[in-house]
Amino acid sequence: MSFARFAVRRLLEMAATLLGASFVIFGAMYLAPGDPASFLLSGRSASPAALAAINSQYHLDDPFAVRYFRWLGQVLQGDFGRSIEYRTDVSKLLADRLPSTLLLVVMALVLVVVAGLALGWIGAVRGGATDSTILVTTTIAVGTPSFVAAILLQGLFSVRLGWFPTSGTGQGLGDMIWHLTLPAIALALYLIGMLARVTRAAMLEQLGSEHVAVARSRGVPERQVIWRHVFRNALGTVLTTGGLIVSTLIICTVLVESAFSIGGIGQLLELATTTKDFPTVQAISLLIVGLFMTVNLIVDLLFPLVDPTVTLGARRSTA
Amino acid sequence: MPPTPTRLERRGRHASGITLAASALSAFALVTACAGPPRTSGPGGRNPYPLSAGTPAAKGEIDSFSWALYAEPPTLDYVQAFDYPQNTILSNVCESLMRWTPQLGEQPGLARQATNPDPTTWVFDLRPGVKFHDGSVMTADDVVFSLNRQRNPDSGSAWANVFQNVDTIAKSGPLQVTVKLKTPDSQFPQYMATAAGVVAGARGVQAAGKDYGTSGSLDCTGPYQLGTWTKGQSIELDRFDDYWGDKAKSKKVVFKFLTDPSARTNALLTGEADGGYLIPTESYARLKASSTGTLYFGEGLSTVNVNVTNMHGPLGDVRVRKALSLAIDRAGFVNTGLGGSGTVTTSLTAKAAWGAADQATRQTALDGLQPTAPDIAQATQLIKEAGASGKTLTMATSSIGQDVSLLATAVQSAGTRIGLNIQLKTIAPDAFTALFTDPKAREGIDMFPETYYLSITDPMDLLTNFQTGSYQNYAGYSDKGYDDLVEQAVGTYDPAQRLAIEAKLNKQASDQDLWIPVAEWPTSLFMNKRITGAPTTISYMYYPWAADVGAAK
Repeated sequence: MSFARFAVRRLLEMAATLLGASFVIFGAMYLAPGDPASFLLSGRSASPAALAAINSQYHLDDPFAVRYFRWLGQVLQGDFGRSIEYRTDVSKLLADRLPSTLLLVVMALVLVVVAGLALGWIGAVRGGATDSTILVTTTIAVGTPSFVAAILLQGLFSVRLGWFPTSGTGQGLGDMIWHLTLPAIALALYLIGMLARVTRAAMLEQLGSEHVAVARSRGVPERQVIWRHVFRNALGTVLTTGGLIVSTLIICTVLVESAFSIGGIGQLLELATTTKDFPTVQAISLLIVGLFMTVNLIVDLLFPLVDPTVTLGARRSTA
Repeated sequence: MPPTPTRLERRGRHASGITLAASALSAFALVTACAGPPRTSGPGGRNPYPLSAGTPAAKGEIDSFSWALYAEPPTLDYVQAFDYPQNTILSNVCESLMRWTPQLGEQPGLARQATNPDPTTWVFDLRPGVKFHDGSVMTADDVVFSLNRQRNPDSGSAWANVFQNVDTIAKSGPLQVTVKLKTPDSQFPQYMATAAGVVAGARGVQAAGKDYGTSGSLDCTGPYQLGTWTKGQSIELDRFDDYWGDKAKSKKVVFKFLTDPSARTNALLTGEADGGYLIPTESYARLKASSTGTLYFGEGLSTVNVNVTNMHGPLGDVRVRKALSLAIDRAGFVNTGLGGSGTVTTSLTAKAAWGAADQATRQTALDGLQPTAPDIAQATQLIKEAGASGKTLTMATSSIGQDVSLLATAVQSAGTRIGLNIQLKTIAPDAFTALFTDPKAREGIDMFPETYYLSITDPMDLLTNFQTGSYQNYAGYSDKGYDDLVEQAVGTYDPAQRLAIEAKLNKQASDQDLWIPVAEWPTSLFMNKRITGAPTTISYMYYPWAADVGAAK
């Protein structure tokens, strides 16, 4: 299969999955108790006229299918509707909050990749006491949920030492990075541990393999052996984990953003869910599903570049 | 009001707050007659957190201070202002015809005076020379426009019920507005001190259209105008230099949205936020011990209750309700659920709501209610008499706050001691909210915890809930005598006469345990050493409190 055909096929698959997801997302909110009109009225008894006005404004009287297709049509044109809770366009709401979430995810991702790969590499190559220390540390990291890490980091570095702010996002890039450092660490810790362990295991497997022994016997310098024969071959496994890592990062922002009061997408999703703000929840859910799929697609497309022995579209069976 | 308010509780309280049928008061008489909040602590001085009438006055001006809020207001449109976050901000930006004072009385606001030449007419004479934030001058047209916006179904106003007895609102002079009522309504003028009575510039509101309240100016008259709103993060208010009254002591106020309770506490402890209301219960001890600032408590006009939602089961028998009330360990709940701050009660309405009442009226309302101390023997006896021994009841609970979960546990343990099997049904926060709004969500549930605050200093604000067909009358209580008294109170402008009627209502509703009252919950306020001046009472919902905040030294 050519790369282009593979890419097109995956894109079509992605579109179909997104369509399915959109239906599930749109339908799910209607199964939960309470309706948006009653939330809009905040529990007040309303006159029939007021109720009718709200229902017609938000098209709550139309049959489900009509509402779904109207919504889908608007979404395809980039219009996610108007937030019931915030009385403003959902796209504007998202645009206001995306930067902090994206910066947080990117900072955490950098931490995960740098620290995770380095720790895994060092553990596998050095062995001995260093390896044991790294194993213990990463085990603790993997066992620490991000909201617990958030509380610990806040208590030590914000309240006790006063090095970082306890909450908020800040203004301007430098200030934002300063504000988001602790949240990014809280978000990254678990994944650093996970990636370090995956990297270590994959590299150890390669270290014990025949081609490494052959390379060494041929007198290839150790540094080159590790880089070319061990790390590059281990990278396939690491990359597969990478997709999972990005997805986890996006999901966990909900917890970390709440703990540090960062007004991002995660926190918005939490608030919108509790207030039954359908249009907002639907837009964020769809955005997250879309991000997941995009990450997966990128991993799929990168895979053959990293590991030429892999056939296109066969990643899951090999990895 | 409650330390860790949650969406659900708030809605509930609020909802009822506004659902006030109608009733009344001669605004001015009441206003001046209204006594302040109680100056003393709980019975026997057991309350480790005595209530303060206020905080030391500011000594001078400051450039800026920051304030912690537990949530971002979805919109600052005054017709939607029914919750803590929006009102805490909006009270400094938009002013009403009348004004709630820090002592919980009522004063003239944008109206110089309010008079009622006949029982169905209210005339508001406006203060001259009041400027909106865009520089234009307030006229009667703006008032007519602002109030009518609350009545327009399209605006989905949270305050629509306040206007249910209103027939017409019309300009009767350049600076005079006349409101004609269909029937006398003693509550209407009182609500003109809440967001229901806000006056905004007609031109500005119309120009902003559907974006009014979410971006740009609010076109109001308050001591502060809306500055930068960084969505998801903060709202800044800037001092309005053309303000008609005393100018604010701080040039700027920054409200920070700190949704997580521990993040909020940390921000207060580290000085990232200079102060805040609604302190999380679990942080009282830390903040009290902190050298950063002072933790205050003030009158909240709030009571914590068990809302009875099903009279078709065992709770339909008043003896069972009474037995539960007799068995609840109120003092234990106050210590754990309210962090020790609060006082036990068996009155549905807070004592301070009766500040304007005379001795006899207060006696009728508050004396001779059931005892607050548990009496297990009598309670067990009542359960036996009612034939309810071994019966099962379901109480809803949620992880939204200690007040909710610990009250549910207290009721469960009370049940166990008197022979009732009380099952707790844990409900997700959003579904718990639905209990207040959706009858289907209440199916299979006999009771749930509800904290309720008054939006005006009048017990009627809560007592109308037990009128036949009233919105929060989930148990479907219907008593002709009670309904008649509600109608009477609504139609009585004289505060003394009205309070006398309300005293009977309070006695009847409390004795019937239509909701089982458990405790009074004060407001909480923390300010660090740098600033002072904010009121301690729930008046901050509608009084421009931030204008009083300035330098402590």
